[in-house]
Amino acid sequence: MHIPDGFVDGKTALAAGALAAAGLGVALRNVRRSFPPRRVPLIGLAAAFVFAAQMLNFPVAGGTSGHLIGAVLAAVLLGPSAAVLVMGTVLILQCFMFADGGVTALGANIFNMALVAPGVGYAVFAVVRRIAGGSRRSLLLATAFASWCSTVAAAIACAGQLAVSGTVAWGVALPAMAGVHMLIGIGEAVITTLVIAAVAGLRPELLRESAPPEGRLRYAELAAYGLLVALGLAVFVAPFASGRPDGLEQVAAALGFEATAARAPLLAAPLPEYVVPGLGSGVSSTVIAGSVGTLLAFGLAYLLARLLTPPGAAGRRGPPHGGAPRASAAA
Amino acid sequence: MHQLLLSPYHHRSSPVHRFPAIGKVAGAVTLVFTVVLLPRTAWAAYGACGAALVLIAALSRIPARRLAKKLLLLEPFVLGVAALSLLQPGGTLVFLSMLAKSTLCLCSIVLLSSTTRFSDVLRVLWRLGVPPLLVTSLALMYRYLSLLVDEAARMHRARRSRTFSPGRVLAWRSSATVAAHLFVRSSERAERVYAAMCARGWRT
Amino acid sequence: MRPGVEDVNALEVRALRYRYPDGTAALQGVSLCVAEGERVALVGPNGAGKSTLLLHLNGLLPEHPSGAPAVHVFGTPVAEPHLPAIRAQVGLLFQDPDDQLFCPTVWEDVAFGPQQLGFREPGLSERVSRALAQVGLGGFEDRLPQHLSRGEKRRVCLAGVLACDARLLALDEPTSDLDPRGRRELKALLHSLPVAQIIATHDLELVVETCQRVIVLDGGAIVAEGPPAEVLSDEVRMLEHGLEKPHILRHRHPH
Repeated sequence: MHIPDGFVDGKTALAAGALAAAGLGVALRNVRRSFPPRRVPLIGLAAAFVFAAQMLNFPVAGGTSGHLIGAVLAAVLLGPSAAVLVMGTVLILQCFMFADGGVTALGANIFNMALVAPGVGYAVFAVVRRIAGGSRRSLLLATAFASWCSTVAAAIACAGQLAVSGTVAWGVALPAMAGVHMLIGIGEAVITTLVIAAVAGLRPELLRESAPPEGRLRYAELAAYGLLVALGLAVFVAPFASGRPDGLEQVAAALGFEATAARAPLLAAPLPEYVVPGLGSGVSSTVIAGSVGTLLAFGLAYLLARLLTPPGAAGRRGPPHGGAPRASAAA
Repeated sequence: MHQLLLSPYHHRSSPVHRFPAIGKVAGAVTLVFTVVLLPRTAWAAYGACGAALVLIAALSRIPARRLAKKLLLLEPFVLGVAALSLLQPGGTLVFLSMLAKSTLCLCSIVLLSSTTRFSDVLRVLWRLGVPPLLVTSLALMYRYLSLLVDEAARMHRARRSRTFSPGRVLAWRSSATVAAHLFVRSSERAERVYAAMCARGWRT
Repeated sequence: MRPGVEDVNALEVRALRYRYPDGTAALQGVSLCVAEGERVALVGPNGAGKSTLLLHLNGLLPEHPSGAPAVHVFGTPVAEPHLPAIRAQVGLLFQDPDDQLFCPTVWEDVAFGPQQLGFREPGLSERVSRALAQVGLGGFEDRLPQHLSRGEKRRVCLAGVLACDARLLALDEPTSDLDPRGRRELKALLHSLPVAQIIATHDLELVVETCQRVIVLDGGAIVAEGPPAEVLSDEVRMLEHGLEKPHILRHRHPH
């Protein structure tokens, strides 16, 4: 979902750019502080890895094909802050060298794919891990569901930016973007989970290195990203939600685009299955459909985790035992 | 094939190639911002920008077919997203102006990447004060990308020659295993690169 | 072992021991020295500890130093706070040149070491050009590492350490994946460099053709040492330690 130039207008580009810069700044600070120096080159190499992974495409309903984003893949393998940098690096290279994603849209693209996707993804991952325990199966379940969520969240943010810029009406953007990405998210979940399962089978200690400290979520780290994501959603998405409290309406008025708050009815054409019969407003239809979709996705994720857990690994619980990495010297 | 994908730089001896990188980056970015900020119906301005780009393309001595091919590769996506804008009142105007703006911006970046070495772009970013960690990551990513793709191709070939009846599920799992091996190798390589940096005097 | 007289040895290793984090012994009390300007080969089967030994020469190992340093380079112990100076003097070349060529262009890679040492323009470019010329790659400044041949990559790595005025070269399998021409060029290059060299290699022909002394390492301990023609001709011992008598010695006629 790399937005090209011309689809995001000046004020949106500026707002997204500011949020993106802030997010990258937070990530840089966190990495400098707590990422082991000997793994720093991995950020660049993992960026190459994610770039290559993004070239994979898979068919999705209706003749379109979807691409991997790779944010949760990076977050599970390297931790959330390093993942933000990895995704940011990929997007900057793609923008300037391959014209994949516009220069003016770079802020928006970084916000969507390097902040929202890894941030939301990792938060979901950490929460599910906390709830479901430390077993291999819970790792895969968390990965699958987090991947799906990250894709959909990024798509919603993207739709918001397009709508706020006046490029695409919200009533079209949300179902089109979020709807399609609910399907693409399944592909992302499958691919990410397969790869994480394979890495867990090969070198489980690599995953442990990026895991949060025993028993605690990295609250401070996630809080900063959460704040930025929430701000972004407030700016790009909230104006379009119906029946929201006054605080957000004030934000919309202050930013001058409350007039674009969509009252336009959902069109019959694009994705009729996202309209719940009997409900007038397109947005709440989508939300309900989305919730159903979320539950379905969770169910699928659980199924996937069951299928991929090697026999015997499913039941192991408790803290993973620490294993020191081997010396890199080869005799 | 992937060489074309991974090295957009096309060497020629031309005034555009010789022009300092910082000028080219600044010029491209300025043009892109200008085009995006122009009002929707500023067709004359679009035309002027287009003419300027054609002139620069001609000066750069890059074969027109090559530039056109790159543009065509990128256009379908633009068309796809732009098509969504048709589905609103006044949409046709929006659609056309989206198309014009995006195409002009695409041309600008394609020209930039074809006439400027990425290492020069990195130096520009460094001088502009982009944080060193980000610049280093960009550099390492660019340096090891082709190596990674080669390794991936080799592993795939090895797996294919051992697979006799490829089912869809098996193919997916096999790709995932290749990807996992690639990541593990990248992780090990990262540590060796760090050791190499230290061996040559790098201090954190 | 050659006793140092007034000249300090380029390299002195005294009873070096090392264990991997998982406890396996890698080096069991290795002692050796390399005189200034001497070329010494380090041979042995895989797993003998050659690479591990080389990593001790510039302080990359041990990860957590304790006790008196066992390695001295030109009289200076390989330990803090001397490590920056040591790393300038010891040019360590890894087995895989791709691990060492991490900069976007050849120029930047060769300039990396000198930049860490504090060199800036205009002296910096001169250093880089000189080093590249020394390895026969003059004019390669703007080339991208990913477009170089294996042999060229190794030579760029060599230029990178020469640009720092390295006085001891530690080479890990320098000819391992070179084609015959690349190998010949590297061999000639090593011959032409007057600095002390310690070369870990499987290429026994190289050992006979370029080195004045050979050390055989097996299971983390030195099992033989001496002139190549002598040590490598001992067929029984060679086979015992996973090596063999090189062809070049099989067909030698005594003069």
